[in-house]
Amino acid sequence: MPGQRPAVRRSGAAVTALLTIFAMLLVAGCSGGGKSDSAGDGPVHVTFWSALRGSQEVVDEYNRTHTKIKVDFEQVPSGDQGGWAKLSNAARAGNAPDVATIEYPQLPSYAIDGVPRDITDMLPDSVRRRIIPQAMDLTTFEGRTYALPVDIEPMVFLYRKDLFTKYDIPVPKTWAEFESSARKLKKAKPDSRIASLFTTGGTLAMAGLAWQAGAQWYDTSDKSWTVSMDDAPTRKVAAYWQRLVDDDLVRVEPSSSQQWRAHLQSGETAGWLAGAWAAGSMMASTPGGKGKWAIAPSPQWDPEKPSLGTQGGSTFMVTKDSTHPEEALEFITWMVTSPDALRAKLSSGVSSAYPTVTDLVPVARKEMDTSYYGGQDIFGLFQREAELISTRWKWGPRMVSTISSGDDGLARAGVGSGTILEALREAQSKTLPDLKSLGLSVTTR
Amino acid sequence: MSTVTTPRKRAGTTPPPADPARTRRAGRRQQRFAYVTLLAPFTALLVAVFLVPVGYAVYLSFFSEDHDGLGFGGGRTIFTGLRSYLAVLQDPSFVSGFGSIALYCVIFVPLVVAGSLGLALLLDSGLIRLRRTAQMLLYLPHAVPGIIAAVIWLYLYTPGLSPVIKLFAEADITIDFLGLHTVLPSIVNIALWSGLGYNMVIFYAALQALPREVLEAARIDGAGGVRTALQVKVPIIRGSVLMVCMFSLIAALQLFTEPMLMNQATPMVNSRFTPNMYIYDAAFRRNNYGLASAASVILLVVTCALSFAVTRWAGRRERSAK
Repeated sequence: MPGQRPAVRRSGAAVTALLTIFAMLLVAGCSGGGKSDSAGDGPVHVTFWSALRGSQEVVDEYNRTHTKIKVDFEQVPSGDQGGWAKLSNAARAGNAPDVATIEYPQLPSYAIDGVPRDITDMLPDSVRRRIIPQAMDLTTFEGRTYALPVDIEPMVFLYRKDLFTKYDIPVPKTWAEFESSARKLKKAKPDSRIASLFTTGGTLAMAGLAWQAGAQWYDTSDKSWTVSMDDAPTRKVAAYWQRLVDDDLVRVEPSSSQQWRAHLQSGETAGWLAGAWAAGSMMASTPGGKGKWAIAPSPQWDPEKPSLGTQGGSTFMVTKDSTHPEEALEFITWMVTSPDALRAKLSSGVSSAYPTVTDLVPVARKEMDTSYYGGQDIFGLFQREAELISTRWKWGPRMVSTISSGDDGLARAGVGSGTILEALREAQSKTLPDLKSLGLSVTTR
Repeated sequence: MSTVTTPRKRAGTTPPPADPARTRRAGRRQQRFAYVTLLAPFTALLVAVFLVPVGYAVYLSFFSEDHDGLGFGGGRTIFTGLRSYLAVLQDPSFVSGFGSIALYCVIFVPLVVAGSLGLALLLDSGLIRLRRTAQMLLYLPHAVPGIIAAVIWLYLYTPGLSPVIKLFAEADITIDFLGLHTVLPSIVNIALWSGLGYNMVIFYAALQALPREVLEAARIDGAGGVRTALQVKVPIIRGSVLMVCMFSLIAALQLFTEPMLMNQATPMVNSRFTPNMYIYDAAFRRNNYGLASAASVILLVVTCALSFAVTRWAGRRERSAK
């Protein structure tokens, strides 16, 4: 499922930990792109790495319907399980695949390291126009485009409609209402909370929430990285969530953890703020919730001036190393814009990733059985919400490490040592030396 | 050194041949051959696994990726001077790694020295029966590779998996080995488990070498077992104690395996918990080889300086004791 970041399960078994170490060692040690350039008249081979589920089905569909280009697909581990390092190391060794998948927050880092190819001049306007500008904006830096976005994930609020109705709790339209609904829910059902503040995975969630409030953790407008992970909008958002935590109105737990999932299943957690992909993820992981859940737009700070951030979403890049960039671009264009590709992806399971190509929405809507949400037109909702995504946001040059530093701080804040804002400040202070040593022009505000 | 001087002696004891000059030449050739053969394996390994990597790290720390402005589209490798070093030294997370190490040492070194010394003294005193078996059982954990040991302990620490936690839970005691304040003791525990037996063997060997007449004299003077152990035996093997302290300190600076695995299980061990983890994180998560190399060189210098200081200090104490 695009956009769904299979996070490390903190409570995971020792075996997982061991395997991860081995995977890291393997990644550090070897592994090339396995490029097989064909000479002569045969099809051009394009190698493709992705951690997205359903990629194999998409590639199979492509190879079935195309003869001139043959795609050799390799499923790679998800980013935090070694996928990011694998791609970096392959690029460093000069044997990156022709096409790789990367999430939005990590794209600037790779663009700075020179892994993706600048596809600005290769990309036809007809393709560019079909993609929602908010998504294009996140893959374009200083007017140059480095990747094609496949899905964009407006933040929405999944909630237990049955519980909200039973206890007569209004579905919040603003963050002020969200807080009062949270209090009401806790009073009516003391073992239940309206949502979770994530520890692992929480920095990305905070980023989406701060994004909505108008924050700019990284501002690139004056040819320099202006870093301010504690700007005024972020402080507002952090203080708000800190209050919810301090008043015990939200759960504090790692995202994608067993405990979090158990709380969702039992109704002890009655809501989830996440990207559009979460709709499909919920259907797959909590089948017992059928008919109980519904999806609402994310609460707003000012309903008169609605704005939104995202959580999740992936892009496809043609690498600089690629020996067949034209063919590689043709393939990713097909993956992003073709109804066949979307259908193939959906055939592999439940996915509610919101496509960046708006004219594909009817396809997704037709393929997706939304009876889980009582037949709600969720893609209609996503479409309206996607329009609200703010274009002020830029991801930073080293987000993997910034995010993990932030998550460490949030985990400590979760056990009462430090605050959300301190976690974000710490993430910033741990990021700056890195950027400076890369020679980037950096200022703080 | 003795291996090197042997050929010369042997050449001198051979009966006087006809032409002394030729023999001398032949002897010298033989000598040179011996030097080369004996030193070659060591030198080759030293160069291949120490000097070359260190040289490359130093190179990488001075010549690294550089970018203009926002840096998009890739950089180029240039001489960056001390930039990487300055960045490392200004990074609070690198410096705090040494803090973690210091705290770890404060807990670990006294425990491991006291523990293994105590065990060695007990074995030496003859109070323990089946001495060989006890020795082997205590040494066994050291034979388990560090990563396997860490995985086993992680299993015992992880809630939901650990039989230990389950056992405590049945007695209504909640115990969290991976919490904010318990995680460092948990790491120390792993290190103790594998280090105790090893250091005990060092102490035990030193104790075995004690002159028996000293112990006899102590006994005749009326010193009991405990007094003999603490006031006679321990001062005499002071050198071994210092050596174990020094090795433990240096090993602590290299701390990596245990916290790295713990990092997978709890956010309380962050990805830059120790200097070595910082280096790994810089190279493979931040993809910043200049930074990683500079940090490596700094760690190397600190380790060398510390070993040197400890050896000097120990040597001076030894001399003043005499």
